[in-house]
Parts: sequence; structure tokens; C-alpha cells
Amino acid sequence: MSSSNASYTLRYFDAIGLAESSRILLTAAGVEWTEEHPEWPQEKPNQPHGRLPVLVEKSTDGSPDFVICESSNVERYIARTYGFLPADLKQAALQEQLRDLISDVISLFFTQIQCKGEEDKAEFQTKFDGLLETLINVQTKLLKDNGNTGRLFGDKLSYADIITYGLYINLLIGFVKFNADIADSVKSKLTPEIVKLISAVETDPLVEKHKSRGGSLVAAISA
Amino acid sequence: MSYILRYFDGIGISEATRLLLTAANVEWTEEHPEWPQEKANQPHGRMPVLIEKDVDGEADFVVCESGSIERYLARKYGFIPADLKQAALQEQLRDLMFDVNHALAGRLSSRCKEDRVESEKKFEDLLALVIKEQSKLITSNGNNGLLFGDCLSYADIVSYGFYKNLLQSVVVLLPDVADIVRTMLTPEVVNLISVVESDPKVVKHTSKGNSLAVAAVME
Repeated sequence: MSSSNASYTLRYFDAIGLAESSRILLTAAGVEWTEEHPEWPQEKPNQPHGRLPVLVEKSTDGSPDFVICESSNVERYIARTYGFLPADLKQAALQEQLRDLISDVISLFFTQIQCKGEEDKAEFQTKFDGLLETLINVQTKLLKDNGNTGRLFGDKLSYADIITYGLYINLLIGFVKFNADIADSVKSKLTPEIVKLISAVETDPLVEKHKSRGGSLVAAISA
Repeated sequence: MSYILRYFDGIGISEATRLLLTAANVEWTEEHPEWPQEKANQPHGRMPVLIEKDVDGEADFVVCESGSIERYLARKYGFIPADLKQAALQEQLRDLMFDVNHALAGRLSSRCKEDRVESEKKFEDLLALVIKEQSKLITSNGNNGLLFGDCLSYADIVSYGFYKNLLQSVVVLLPDVADIVRTMLTPEVVNLISVVESDPKVVKHTSKGNSLAVAAVME
């Protein structure tokens, strides 16, 4: 575990989006952190890849702050530093492969909404639906095999649990502004095991303090 | 310890994994499962899949998703630094490359002209970003053709795999892409490709097939 006097700034838009998992990881880690919503696109050139999110780890010894970007990378860094990803490389890989699958699901969502042609819209909707189904099946199996405790791996809150929550809060709340139908469509596909995971994450003592700008995902599912 | 890489019989998105296995100097082979018949037998119904076979008779370890496979091998065999900060600086570059490939996949599947143009633009914008970052890193690293430090790293290897896919694999489906990429490459990145290709740790693999270093500059 890293020093407990580290503090962080998370730069993102004032939205759930691709920063939510990082917000939850920082909260769960119990570290000091704040959020910045840079003027956009004016602040583009001041980010490592001209994109958000960006994580700044504030230096305590006068050396330059440590700055990283790319949402998956930011999540893995926080998770590894604070023990939400196991040190064992095999166990870590089994968690990370879920996030890689989730990246593709998210990518298909955004590709689909940006399509202008009807045929392309339909094609990417089919791809999105298919990959989401794969993800749900894989996660449900893991949850069942792990005793249906609402945890994907082991018995403590893990990186995999958090980034899963981070996906579903977008599909059910955050991304609704881009596609009005998606929430109902995804809600109907959630298995009881995944619903239990969502509840387990939201009510975990380490996460409770986190108030999503979209409100409770658990409430959104039961609505 | 030995490995099986399951993938299609082609460069695709597995070249970096092949290079990492070669550089790790481990025993490895490749399987090209009947597709799509073997879909259901893969953890996520997709490829690549990496199987690590333990000599002690323990169950095989199976991991999928190209990003996770690469990071697993790179961390295990020391191509990603143990220091988490140094690791993150390498991994963020790779994550950017995934977005380039997503844009390209969008271009490949789009039928409507407007969507093709849009995704091609996204592809070019993101590729320009990758090239800019790589060139900056190579230059500040003393222009030795490597992205970080002075020995072959994960970042160097995944970069080579990334360009091998664009210049020698995707070109089959989208012939224009190779030309676009070539015109965008900087001397720094061309040098990176050449330096990786001739590195003793991977030359056993890179010397098979057509040279990427040549493809990166040829008309």
C-alpha cells in the first residue's frame, strides 16, 4: 500500500461518464481527493493526451506532480496502489480482462450513437447488444461460482466489482442523455446476481460516502 | 512453463503478444481454432486467448482480452516496470492505441458514407495523437529509438505490434489505411519500429514474414 498522505486531483467533466469508477476507487481507498472540471476544450492542450479523465497525484517533496490519463489506466493505477487489484498477476489479469471487455462495450455504445446511417445504427446496436450479453453471462457465472455474494472475486470489494458498477451506472443513468432507450433495455437484461453486485458495491462501507451525481443506481433499478 | 496463444492465423491484434512471448524466451505455440465453432469454448467467446501450462500438473491458467494478455506477460517477464508509476506511463500509451483500433473497427463496419468519413477522421485524429506522444517520448529519451529507458520495454513492443497491424494486416481490408499511416509517421517512430525489429530479444520473430521497418517507409 502506498503512503497515506498522498492526495489526488481527478480532472473530468461534471458528469458520471468514464470517471465514476475512479471516483469510487479513490473513495474506497480512503485517500484525500478532489475533482476539477477544466474549461473545455480550452484546457485540452494542458492534458497529457488532450483528453479526460486525468489523475494528478500531488507531490509532497517539491518534485513535479505525477500525472496519468486514460480511464482504464487511471483505474488500474489506483486499484493496484491501494490493493483493490491483487498483487498476484494471475488474479489481477482475471479481473482486468473484464474491464477490457467493458471498454469494448462502451466503445460500441458510442460508435452506435454517432452513426448517421440507419443500417450502421442497426449493425452497431446488434454488436453492442451481443457483447453486453456476453459480459452479463460472464459476470453472472463468476458471481454464481463465487457463492452469489454480490462479489465477483473473493469476499472483499474488488476492482472488478467497482468497474462493473461504473459501467452499469452509465448504462442505466449516465448514458441516458445520449440514448433514451438504453436504460430500459439494459435493466431488462440484468440478472439477479448482477443486481446483487450493484447493491453490494453501493452499500459497501468503503463506498457509502460516495454520492453519485446520478443518484442511487440501486433505486434506479427498482424504479 | 509453456504457453499456447489461441488466435486467427494472421497478424491482427496479437502481434505484440507474440513478441512478448518471444522476448520472454519461453516455450510457446499457437493454435488457430475452428471459428466460429470454437467460440463457446473461449472465456469471452473471443480471441486472442492465452493459456499458461504449468509443468507441475496444476490446472492451466487461461486469460483473454489482448490488453490483459499483454500486461500479464509484460509484468511477469519484466517488460513493464514493477514501479506502478512507471508502469502507468507505459500503459496509458497502449490504452490510447485501443481507441485508435476502435475507430478503425467503426470505419470497417460502416456502410453509410457519412459514417465512414466520420470514423476515418476519428481514426486519423487519434493516430496523430499516438504518433505525437511517441515522438515526444522518444525524443526526450535521448532519441535512441526507444520510448523509455535503454532496453526494450512493453511500450516499445506494443507500439511495434500496433503498427504491424495497421501497415501489414488491416491493409488487406482497407488498402488506404497503410498509406495514411505511412504519411503520418515521424522519423522518431520509424526509428522505433526499426530498433524494435532488430532487437536481439525479438528478432527471432520479427525476421519472419515481411519487414515492418521496410513497410513503414515504402511507397
